[in-house]
Amino acid sequence: MFGYTGKVLRINLSAGSCGVEPLRMDWADKYIGSKGLSIRYLYEELAPHTDPLSPENKLLLTTGPLTGTPIPCSGKLAVTSKSPATGTISDASIGGHIGAEIKFAGYDMVIIEGRAQDPSYILIDDDKVSVESADGIWGKGAYETEDLIKAKHGCDHSVLAIGPAGENLSTMACINTDYYRQAGRGGLGAVMGSKNVKAVAVRGTGAVDVPDIKKTTDRIIDILTSDVLVEDNTFVYDVGTTAFLEACNDGGILPSKNFSDTTDKDWVKYNGDVLMTYRQGKRGCGCCGLGCGNFLKFKGGTVEGPEYETISVAGPNAGVDDPESIMKYNEVADDMGLDTISAGDVIVWAMEMTEKGIHDFGIRFGEGEKMCDLLRMMAYREGFGADLADGVKKAAAKYGGSEYTLEVKGLEYPQYEPRGSWGMSLSYAVSDRGACHMRAYAPNVEVFEAAAPPYTAEGKGEMVYQLAEFNAVKFSACICDFWATLDYAILSELLTLVTGKEWTEQDMSDTGRRVINIARAFNQREGFSRKEDTIPKRLVKEALASGPAKGQKIPKEAFDDMLDQYYGVMGWDKNGLMPDELISSLM
Amino acid sequence: MINVRIALRGTLRNLLEGGEITVSIPEGSTCDDALNAAGIHREDIPSFGFVSVNGMRVMVTDTLSDGDLLKAFSRIGGG
Amino acid sequence: MKRLKLEKEKCLGCKLCAVVCSAYKEGAYRPSAARLDIQSHYENGGLVYDDRFCILCGICAKNCPEGAIVQEEYITVDHSKCVGCGTCLEKCPKNAPKIRDKKSYICDTCEGTPNCVRTCPQNALVFA
Repeated sequence: MFGYTGKVLRINLSAGSCGVEPLRMDWADKYIGSKGLSIRYLYEELAPHTDPLSPENKLLLTTGPLTGTPIPCSGKLAVTSKSPATGTISDASIGGHIGAEIKFAGYDMVIIEGRAQDPSYILIDDDKVSVESADGIWGKGAYETEDLIKAKHGCDHSVLAIGPAGENLSTMACINTDYYRQAGRGGLGAVMGSKNVKAVAVRGTGAVDVPDIKKTTDRIIDILTSDVLVEDNTFVYDVGTTAFLEACNDGGILPSKNFSDTTDKDWVKYNGDVLMTYRQGKRGCGCCGLGCGNFLKFKGGTVEGPEYETISVAGPNAGVDDPESIMKYNEVADDMGLDTISAGDVIVWAMEMTEKGIHDFGIRFGEGEKMCDLLRMMAYREGFGADLADGVKKAAAKYGGSEYTLEVKGLEYPQYEPRGSWGMSLSYAVSDRGACHMRAYAPNVEVFEAAAPPYTAEGKGEMVYQLAEFNAVKFSACICDFWATLDYAILSELLTLVTGKEWTEQDMSDTGRRVINIARAFNQREGFSRKEDTIPKRLVKEALASGPAKGQKIPKEAFDDMLDQYYGVMGWDKNGLMPDELISSLM
Repeated sequence: MINVRIALRGTLRNLLEGGEITVSIPEGSTCDDALNAAGIHREDIPSFGFVSVNGMRVMVTDTLSDGDLLKAFSRIGGG
Repeated sequence: MKRLKLEKEKCLGCKLCAVVCSAYKEGAYRPSAARLDIQSHYENGGLVYDDRFCILCGICAKNCPEGAIVQEEYITVDHSKCVGCGTCLEKCPKNAPKIRDKKSYICDTCEGTPNCVRTCPQNALVFA
């Protein structure tokens, strides 16, 4: 078998057993791997209305056929489950080396089902699979968890770990690897915690085969040099995603003070030039050519990061301009095992609630040092931390202040202000896992490329679809977002070389559409429709006070128009529902 | 005549030595005019993204004032 | 004589070198079987580098009890003589040899044009 191993490892924690079964190649032919394939599996295996934190939910770790080859930016793994934050299907893409290690251990996919009786970790050494006691590890931060497991089993193991947030079932809990890489969003860390699984450690000594290894490897090295290591992509090596900071600020989409305004004239205080003065080393994921990881050492600690999302949420969105505060927030969030985006959005909402006198959470804009206290309170469910630990939607249900929450389906808004890029409000609304910027990245077209006027609904349905289709197939192959110049020609060529099956550019487009549809089908079966594809009240009611998008707000009619367009492009009805024939065609 | 400082960002930086230049152009000039005066022709640069004046995004056809800071950004991939 | 050298500050720990090595030498993507191992990982809050690669010191050739190892511009192991005793690995200051199925596998610089070097995306691995 080429590319794939053809094997799935299924671990039943309740029964304390595991087995190996053949991969559904008929599904792989339609969905490739990672994102699409894992969603197809869960569509089949999860009964509707499964409680995400029950033993009946399943956690899937899914590679793609390109994983484990030297294809640049292929060092990713899809972690998929039903999300406890949203109730939707939710796939996250984690970097590091774990994806390739699972492949070399001999598996395309690992399915974790049931619940272990006691705190445990899963150990996979090629075909030797066991569930070990997490005695002495449960309760530790995510960093120490990895240290302990590697000390016991060898640092040639790659480890997925949850922190206290996952153990305490926060719906903002993430799963880490290599300390600082995450399957960040949707509370997948809580799913792992609900199964009593503290970590998954993997070591693989097997192989990935391709039809013509010399021709394939020569071509891959050629593509690495000619298409990947070009300036349009290599900026991530130099400054990482901090490059977005100035562009978003000037572009009018950098959120400020819980999305109450945009731009921050003080961005120079915490931008890439400043952060890189703390740099000690560089890191990349498995077979990455670009190396976006910046390992920084600062007075209060160390962190690989921070990325644009973390900088923005802990910086201007919190009214903070101190780089050390931002770095510390990142370090603590990663150790607690909390998604920096969701946890950050909750904290900055709490700041606004305090400032407006709706509820005193004891933290105001600019109080960077208190942010880490709130992270710990949420991770350990201490005091009002218990009310914040399950996201801003639930917090507002208890304390009020829903006019100031920025979320869709219970997943908090990433740091791009849609009033400066209207298509982004559509993207956030229709994304399969709640408000996510990694499905259709509208700012690219509306701001950075100046290719579509930002303050209009016109044409945004088609625009969002094209962006979503591309990422859907890319994340099913699976390739990292940062190989931005990748196109269907190269992607289909690589899939053909690796799998020995003919993939065409049209297949890429068709697969992308199919992946969007299977995710929607899952959600539809859970009861989702147009009424959950929402726009936060703030964006409709409040005009931006300053910045390039000053005066902008998004009229409800414009938002409804964009939704109508998108549903039309997808072939869904006016209520956002898929016809039966479409769902059948996905099977 | 007005003086405008041009600063290039991202992959555009290589187009000018040090990534910056100050140009002297007639009053009423647009961002495009200023860039052309610096030898930067937007149509010939596939990676050309957007422009901002004094930290705020504008259209390339907007006019400039004396002392303005005009930034030109390249396209950025990813998210 | 040219040797492999690692410039640690440039290394991403991406392991492309090992994956590519195994491609050309083993006919599959199997980095555990590669003739070099370069990686970095986090430990106790710090970034740690680990590298195992042949620096052409010749200690293996001098110590092989079967006379299976010859060093010229690069190392060659005669598998008809090699019994997989592991002496080369034991003596090697870089832990570079891989012992598998009673045979020793040692880097031969791909006979003068090392594939790992031409692949390294950050030119951290050089042949000079």
